[in-house]
Amino acid sequence: MSFDILYYTYFIVKFSFLLYGLILIFIYSSGILLSDRAVKRNKKRAHFLQVNDIVSATDIPSVTLVAPAYNEGKTIVENVKSLLAIQYPFYDLLIVNDGSTDNTMQLLIDKYDLEPFDTTFSTQPIPTATVNRIFKSRKAQYKQLTVIDKNNGGKADAINAGINFAASELILCTDADCIIEQDALLKMVRPYLEESDQEIIACGGAIGIANDSVISNGTIKELRLPNDMIPMIQVVEYIRAFLIGRMGWGEINGLMLVSGAFGMYPRNRLIDVGGYDAKTVGEDFDLCIKLRVHMEQIKKPYKVVYVPETLCWTEAPPDYDIFIKQRDRWARGLIETLFIHKKLFLNPKYRNVGLFFIPYWFFFEFGAPIVEFLGLISLIVFGIFGLINWTTALLLLFSVYLFGCIFSTVAIFFYVKSFKHYSTSKQVTELLLAAYLEPFLYHPVLVYAQIKGYYKILFNIKSGWGVMKRRGFKTID
Amino acid sequence: MKKALVIQEDIIILNILERLVTLNHYECRAIRSLNDLNIEDQQVNFDIIISDILFDGISPLDFVFQIQEIILHKSLIIVTNMGQLNVRLEVLASKNVDGFFAVPLNMNLIEKLIA
Amino acid sequence: MINIFLIVLIKIFAVVLIMLWVTIGVSIVYRRRRTKNLLLIEKTFAEVISKHLYPYPGEELSLVEIQRIFRNVGIIPSKPRNVQYLIDLMIRTQRSLLGENYEKLVVLFNQIPPYGASVSKLKSTKWYVKARGIREIYEMDQTRYVKEVIKERNNRNIYVRREAQIAMVIFLGWESLRFLSYLKREMTLWQQIKIVEKLHDLYPEPNLQYLRRAYESEKTYANELIMRIIRKFNLITEVDYILQFVDNRNFDTRESAIYCISSFYLSNSQLKLLKEKYFKVPNVSQQIQLLKYIDKISFDKDLEFYKKLLYTADDIIKLSTAEILWNNGYKEEVQEFYYQQYTNQSLKVEDSL
Repeated sequence: MSFDILYYTYFIVKFSFLLYGLILIFIYSSGILLSDRAVKRNKKRAHFLQVNDIVSATDIPSVTLVAPAYNEGKTIVENVKSLLAIQYPFYDLLIVNDGSTDNTMQLLIDKYDLEPFDTTFSTQPIPTATVNRIFKSRKAQYKQLTVIDKNNGGKADAINAGINFAASELILCTDADCIIEQDALLKMVRPYLEESDQEIIACGGAIGIANDSVISNGTIKELRLPNDMIPMIQVVEYIRAFLIGRMGWGEINGLMLVSGAFGMYPRNRLIDVGGYDAKTVGEDFDLCIKLRVHMEQIKKPYKVVYVPETLCWTEAPPDYDIFIKQRDRWARGLIETLFIHKKLFLNPKYRNVGLFFIPYWFFFEFGAPIVEFLGLISLIVFGIFGLINWTTALLLLFSVYLFGCIFSTVAIFFYVKSFKHYSTSKQVTELLLAAYLEPFLYHPVLVYAQIKGYYKILFNIKSGWGVMKRRGFKTID
Repeated sequence: MKKALVIQEDIIILNILERLVTLNHYECRAIRSLNDLNIEDQQVNFDIIISDILFDGISPLDFVFQIQEIILHKSLIIVTNMGQLNVRLEVLASKNVDGFFAVPLNMNLIEKLIA
Repeated sequence: MINIFLIVLIKIFAVVLIMLWVTIGVSIVYRRRRTKNLLLIEKTFAEVISKHLYPYPGEELSLVEIQRIFRNVGIIPSKPRNVQYLIDLMIRTQRSLLGENYEKLVVLFNQIPPYGASVSKLKSTKWYVKARGIREIYEMDQTRYVKEVIKERNNRNIYVRREAQIAMVIFLGWESLRFLSYLKREMTLWQQIKIVEKLHDLYPEPNLQYLRRAYESEKTYANELIMRIIRKFNLITEVDYILQFVDNRNFDTRESAIYCISSFYLSNSQLKLLKEKYFKVPNVSQQIQLLKYIDKISFDKDLEFYKKLLYTADDIIKLSTAEILWNNGYKEEVQEFYYQQYTNQSLKVEDSL
C-alpha cells in the first residue's frame, strides 16, 4: 500500500516535471522563431532609418543620460569623458554623485571646472535623499555636463534625482562604469521616431561583456572574449537572453524587463510612476512593470521595445564568488518585485500582463530554480527507493542537454550572422565550447545563488546590493 | 606648397574633399579617423584642416577646443553630418573654427573658403 | 519504447547540431569574403566619383571607363546584391551633396546601370523591396514615375507609405501638402521630420497658399506637421496656427505646439492669448515649459499673471513662478507669499490648542 502511494507520487511528480519541461521547451522554441522574425525585420527596417539620417536630423527628441556614481574615484574622470563623447545632437549628461565617501566629487570639480548653481527653486517631482548642490561646468566644451551632489540613497534614488533635474524628453539610465557605444543614442531613439499608435514607454538595448577587451578613450578598441570561463559563459548567456529572449518577447509586446544598466524612457512617464523604487533591489524590473500597469490603467496603447544591437558593454563577475552575489541579488529583486505586484497575477484587468506575462515570470523565471532544486531532491529520493529507470533518466538528461546546446548554438549563430562582434572562427568555437560546458560549470552555481537569494527573502535575512569588486577594463592611451 | 589635412570617416566624402583640396594647390593628407594620425602628422603645421567633429572617445566640442593641441594648424573647417543649429552655434562660438558645413554639402562654398 | 524514442531524439538533435556548426562555419567564411568585397566596391566607387567630380587635368573618366571599372569589381546584372550595394552608395553620395555636384551625379547615375531596376521594384509584394524602389526613384530624381509612387502614399506598410510621402514632397514640393494633410493613416515623428527637411532643402521658398489650405485638415499628425513647417521656415505670420494647439487635449499635439512656438517672439495680443490658454493645459511639465517660454519672451513682467499662479497653482508651478519673480526683481512678492504660507500654518496650530 505504502509502495503504491510512493509509486503514484513518483508518477505524478515525474509527469509534472515532464509537463513543466515541455512547456519550457515550447516557450524557448517559440522564442527562437519569434526572435528570428524580429531580427530579420529589424535589419530591413534599419535600412530605412540609418544612423546618418538621425544624426543630421532636427526635431528629434532630446535625451539626458543619467548615470549614478558611488565611490568611483578611480575611473570617474575617464568614464565621464567617454560618456560626453556620445554622438547625439540634443544630449545632456547628468552624473549623480550618490554620497561618495572618496574623492569622486572633487575629481569631477577639478577636471571639469565645475561651479555650483542656485537650486533654491528647483523642483523635485520624485522625492529623493537630500540634494546638496548641483554643478555645471564653466568651460564651454563641457556645457552638456551637470553633476548632482546628493546624500547617499542608493542607485535607484540617485537615478530619481537625475530624472527630477533632467529637462529632456527622454531619459537614458545607465551605470557610470559601463561603456556606451558612441552611436548608442542614435540607435536607441529609433523606436521613438517610428512610434505610431502605440506609445513607446521603455526601450532596452543589448548589453555585452567586455572583460579582457582593450579599451581606449572610453571606447572598445578591440573586443575580445574573456579569458576566464565564468565570464565567457556569461557572454553566451547574455547573447541568449538578449537576442532570443528579449527579441522574442518584444515581438508579442511581452517584455517585462529593461535592464537598469541600459534603458531609455520618456521622462513624463517616469514622473507619472514616481521613478524607480528605492526600496527594492530589482528596481529595473519593478519600473517596467509599473510603467505597464500605469498604461493599462489609463487605457492607452503602449509598447516596450528592444534594440537587438549591443550598445552597452559592462564587466561581468569574473569569479564564482562575485557571480553568486550578483545572481543572489537578482533573485531577491525578482521575488521582491513579483511580491510587490502580486495583484497583477492572473488578473484579467491587466490583460496580457496579468494573464500571461506575470504568470510566466512567476512559474518559469522565479519557479525554475525551485523546480530544478526539487527535481534534484526527487531524483535522489526516488532513486533511493529504486523507482528510477537510470537508462531512461540518462537518455532523457542527454537529450535535454542536446536541446540546450542547440538553443545556445542557434543564439550564437543569430548573433554572429547579424552583428560584427565575435566574427573569427576561434571566437565562435570558444563561445560554443563555453555554451556546451555551461550546464556543468555554471548552471548549478547559478541555481545555488538563486536558491540562496530566495532563502534570504524567505527568512528575512537582510542583504542589500553588496559590493562587486571590479577588476576594471584593460585601457590603453 | 600649402599643406592640408582632411579627416572624414565617410570614404566617399574623404576622396571628394581630398581631390578638391589638391586641385586648389594643397599637398593633402587624407585620413579617416584621429587614430590614423602618425607622429609626422603631429609635427606638421597644416595650413588647413578639414575635419568632422564626430570621433570615438572625444566629444564634438571637446575636439574643437583641443584640436590645436593635437594637431598644429592655421585654419579649421568643420564638415560634418551633425549640423543642427545648436551644434553649429556652439562650435562656431569656440572661435577656433573658420567654417562649418553640414551635410548636404555645397562643395563650391568650401572651395571658396580654401582657395 | 521510451528509450528508443529518446535515442531517436538524440540522433535528430545531434544531426541538427552538426548542421548548425556547418552553417556557422559557412556563414563566417561568407561574411568575411563579402565584407572584403563590399569594401572594395566602396573604395572603387569613392575613387570613381571623386575623379568624375574633380578630375585632375587629363584624367577625365568616360562613361565607358566608369562602367568597365564597376564591372571589374563585380557590379554586373548576375550579382544583384552587388548592384543593390552600388545603388545604396549612389544614394548615400547623392544625399551628401548639393549644387553643381548633385546635378552632375544625377546625370551620371541615370546613365550607368542599374537604370530601370528601381521601377520594377514597385511591383514587388515585399514591403522592403517596394520601399527601396520608391527611395531609389526619388533619390535618383526619376520624375517620370511620380504617379506610380504617389499611389503608394496610403499603403498599409508604414515604410512604403513613408517613402512615397517623402517622394511626393521631393517631386511636388509645397503642392504635396494637398495630399499629405489628408492621408488615411497617422504619420510618425520621423515621417514628419523627413518631410519638413526635404521641403526645406529642396523648396526653401514657402508657398503659403498651399500651407493655409492644409489648415483645414483635422488630422492630428497634419496639425503637428504644419506646426513643424511653420517653425522650420520661421513663418512669423502663421504663429496663430500654432497657438490654437497649445491647449489641445492631445498630449503630443500640445508638446509639438509648445516646442514649435518656442522659436518665436509673440505680439502682445498673442501673448495675452497664450496666457489664457496656459490655464487650460492639463499637464504640469508642459505648463512649466510654457512658463519659462513666457518669461523668456516677455519684456515687461505681468505681475498679475504670476501672482495668480503663485497663489492658486500646483506646488511645482508655484516654485517655478517664485523663481521667475525672484530673478526679475520681485523678491518682496515672493517673500510675502511664503510669509503668508507660514503665518497660515501657525494660526492653525494656535486654534488646535
